[in-house]
Amino acid sequence: MTPRNKPDVLYLHVPFCRTICSYCDFCHTVYKHEDGDAWLDALKKELALREINRSLRTVYIGGGTPSVLEEAQLERLLSMLDPYTGSVREYTIEINPETLSAAKAEILASHGIRRASIGFQTSDEKMLKKMNRRHTMADMERCVKELRDAGIDNLSFDLMYSLPDQTLADLQQSVNDALKLQPKHLSLYSLTIEENTVFAKTGAEPCDEDTEADMYRWICDTLPAYGFRQYEISNFALPGYESMHNTAYWEYEDFYGISCGASGKEKNIRYDNTRSLRSYLTDPLQREEILLSERDRMFETVMMGLRLKRGFSLSRFAETFGVPLTDAYGDKIREMIRQEMLETDGDRIRCTEKGFPVLNEILVCLMDDEGE
Amino acid sequence: MDRKYIRNFCIIAHIDHGKSTLADRILEMTDTVSQRDMKTQILDDMELERERGITIKLNAVQLSYHARDGHEYLFNLIDTPGHVDFTYEVSRSLAACEGAILVVDSTQGVQAQTLANTYLALDNDLEIVPVINKVDMNNAQPEHTKKEIEDIIGLDCSDAPEISARTGLNVDAVLEQIVTKIPAPSGDPSKPLQALVFDSFYDPYRGVIALVRVREGTLKTGDKIRFMATGAEYDVLETGIRNPGEVRVSALEAGDVGWFAASIKSIQDVRVGDTVTLCRNPAAQPLSGYRKLNPMVYCGLYPSDAAKYEDLRDALDKLQLNDASLQYEPETSQALGFGFRCGFLGLLHMDVIQERLEREYGLDLICTAPSVIYHVYLTDGSMIAIDNPARMPDGTRIDHVEEPYVKAEIMVPEAYIGAVMELCQNKRGIFQTMDVIDTGRNMITYEIPLSEIIYDFFDRLKSCSKGYASLDYEVIGYRKEDLVRMDILLNGETVDALSVIVHRSEAYKRGSGITIRLKELIPKQQFEIPVQAAIGGKVIARTNIKSLRKNVLAKCYGGDISRKKKLLEKQKEGKKRMKAVGSVVIPQEAFMSVLSMDDDPKK
Repeated sequence: MTPRNKPDVLYLHVPFCRTICSYCDFCHTVYKHEDGDAWLDALKKELALREINRSLRTVYIGGGTPSVLEEAQLERLLSMLDPYTGSVREYTIEINPETLSAAKAEILASHGIRRASIGFQTSDEKMLKKMNRRHTMADMERCVKELRDAGIDNLSFDLMYSLPDQTLADLQQSVNDALKLQPKHLSLYSLTIEENTVFAKTGAEPCDEDTEADMYRWICDTLPAYGFRQYEISNFALPGYESMHNTAYWEYEDFYGISCGASGKEKNIRYDNTRSLRSYLTDPLQREEILLSERDRMFETVMMGLRLKRGFSLSRFAETFGVPLTDAYGDKIREMIRQEMLETDGDRIRCTEKGFPVLNEILVCLMDDEGE
Repeated sequence: MDRKYIRNFCIIAHIDHGKSTLADRILEMTDTVSQRDMKTQILDDMELERERGITIKLNAVQLSYHARDGHEYLFNLIDTPGHVDFTYEVSRSLAACEGAILVVDSTQGVQAQTLANTYLALDNDLEIVPVINKVDMNNAQPEHTKKEIEDIIGLDCSDAPEISARTGLNVDAVLEQIVTKIPAPSGDPSKPLQALVFDSFYDPYRGVIALVRVREGTLKTGDKIRFMATGAEYDVLETGIRNPGEVRVSALEAGDVGWFAASIKSIQDVRVGDTVTLCRNPAAQPLSGYRKLNPMVYCGLYPSDAAKYEDLRDALDKLQLNDASLQYEPETSQALGFGFRCGFLGLLHMDVIQERLEREYGLDLICTAPSVIYHVYLTDGSMIAIDNPARMPDGTRIDHVEEPYVKAEIMVPEAYIGAVMELCQNKRGIFQTMDVIDTGRNMITYEIPLSEIIYDFFDRLKSCSKGYASLDYEVIGYRKEDLVRMDILLNGETVDALSVIVHRSEAYKRGSGITIRLKELIPKQQFEIPVQAAIGGKVIARTNIKSLRKNVLAKCYGGDISRKKKLLEKQKEGKKRMKAVGSVVIPQEAFMSVLSMDDDPKK
């Protein structure tokens, strides 16, 4: 198989955390030293068994909390990936501020990592406690300094808003505190209460809908003044610092999902690797596969593509599926253009300013009925 | 078999007094059903009945019983529904019997439906065998219950079996009393055929199956028969009984209860209450008809998807076949398109039909709020009957309006009298009498507009009396009231399916309640929607549904797609039970909300 047909985007999931955040339903296990070693052994097996493209364009190590791994383990992990990252153009790792050290930052940098996505969440320390996050603003500042000292300066912060009882002023404070640390990229997510999270079990609720909408409006209006362009529903970047890796998801490209709890997509198959660390350790290739029909892939192209401010390419859609978008969805697309929810700009179709915040309404309408 | 060894009987009881459980025990103890096939409450074979724990459709089964006198007896057991809405079905099953077992729960004693069903059975000249149930419970009072039956109903209970239908205790005594107390059917197999149709159902392979009680004569496979009321003629292809599975027999004779199939395609030909006779030797007269009750509650049923209109019609046709009390005719709504105005015996009946349409026929329905029939007297002296509030003429043409009243008899323990009376008062009830039945129990009688009790009265009665109050009601006629039509406007347009008829003195309160409730129920849309209540074009209450500002997935990366798609599917599913009316999308519950009480906006 030529590398051309293989994905050049890779996501690797580190399924460990030191503590479990109240809002998180991602795949995670509380970190133990022996588990970390055993996981690395299994990961080595997985990499050996899968014929992974050796000229990857982007690599993203997410979690869980990758930075919870000990120095020797981080070194081992990144060494295992070295054979694949020679031509990589964007190499990102997720960091939780309290788990980083100067030594760990040095290890990351020595393997070519130049981008870090840091869980900032909020600068309100009372709120951080409620979210069961164990860092403080001091940790955050130290973490940023350690990364910069090691030469990792492409920093992205994750922030959350519409937290329980949060006000617009609280959010503004957090965003200002984040901007002071001079990130290149910001992701701002409204809180979603997922099933099987501490928040869900304790009945925590996001702030009211109106405040949430006000917050989103404020974010979209304010960040550009600081040079951060919105390029996706929840993502903002200084020019040239948009995430290549995440953009590949929104462009509906294929990608590898590596390790316990990761998902991947190759051609018309999406797979979810086992979420259980125990079964991953016995057989690292255990996964569930979903066969994607052409209609599935069409819808997912739209569902992901419309998240981008610039939308997606109509000619690429037609080329991929052999049918123009407007034919694939009957009158629905035209109707939504008429309602000023969608608009075309040359070869691209995208949400209007009115459609963007209510994208779900558009997608639900485009979703096929069963049996259709 | 000699007719003197046949017993045709039914079981009557207040709801939850153990009728279906006793039927199960009788089936078991007559070895009709093997223990292995036994599901609890086997006569309730509709999924819905099993779920709600109530009997809706009557069923007939044949059992054989070896009595202590050494003879083999044939029992035809006809199950009857136990809810106030189904009086009509009870009356049908009663007419096919010679006797009735009256089950009374010894922890609760005589209740409203105990009385109503007993009187119905006495009207049909049935022999009544009282049975005292649930004597294994700690709070059972069998002696007290017997005395109550003797005092209130006047039935001799000196040898009434004290049983536990649950454990089977003394059920054998019930079986013996069926033999000794209930008379054998009369009738002569050689006389011209008279068979009473008391139920029917549709089988996709054999057409309409009619359930009959043969009064006189004999019905055989191969006979050419005529339905005396409709005049339709058919060749009988199969005759049989149910035990409870179907068993073919060559003939049904006077005294028998069974079924026949005749490849009947037109469901209109088989009318419950009709008499079947033979073409070549017809009976001179049909049997006296069943007491037919008219629907009291009406609502509009519309398919969510307009393309499913014909499917809805077919489904209603089929349901009507074994539920003759269901009535329907096509109607059109500006808001909802083509649908049917359907008449029901009561609210439970309406619920059951709606659920069966959705469950058994896979239809998504929009149901408008139930309404009663109003008599509207016009200024020109004529009267029109209105079963749909939207049809109420303009106020200037109306002289006056009358609405149906019921006499509601409520049996209630002393402790809850206050709460029950307050409820009746709130529902425009007029107090009539209060009788002490025995220490601690009272029968309160109110006259209440039917429109006030069709929505949630029964539920509220139960909740305000911790489940102890029981209700029976009958329509007593029409009375003049100051009633007006209140229209609901969404986004400036009247939605005809939301119109409601209210008492003028309560219009303002109801109008504010409805608009607030609609605001809660109608999801935000991409524009602001004014919600108004108006009488004769004059707005009396108003609120706004703010526009939807944000509905987007915060996070959606490569690994999230499957999960997030499921979330979108859920949102789509939620929209399926909604109807676009003009530019506004309205959920099903909104159509019912116009009847909700303003003091309980959360319900």
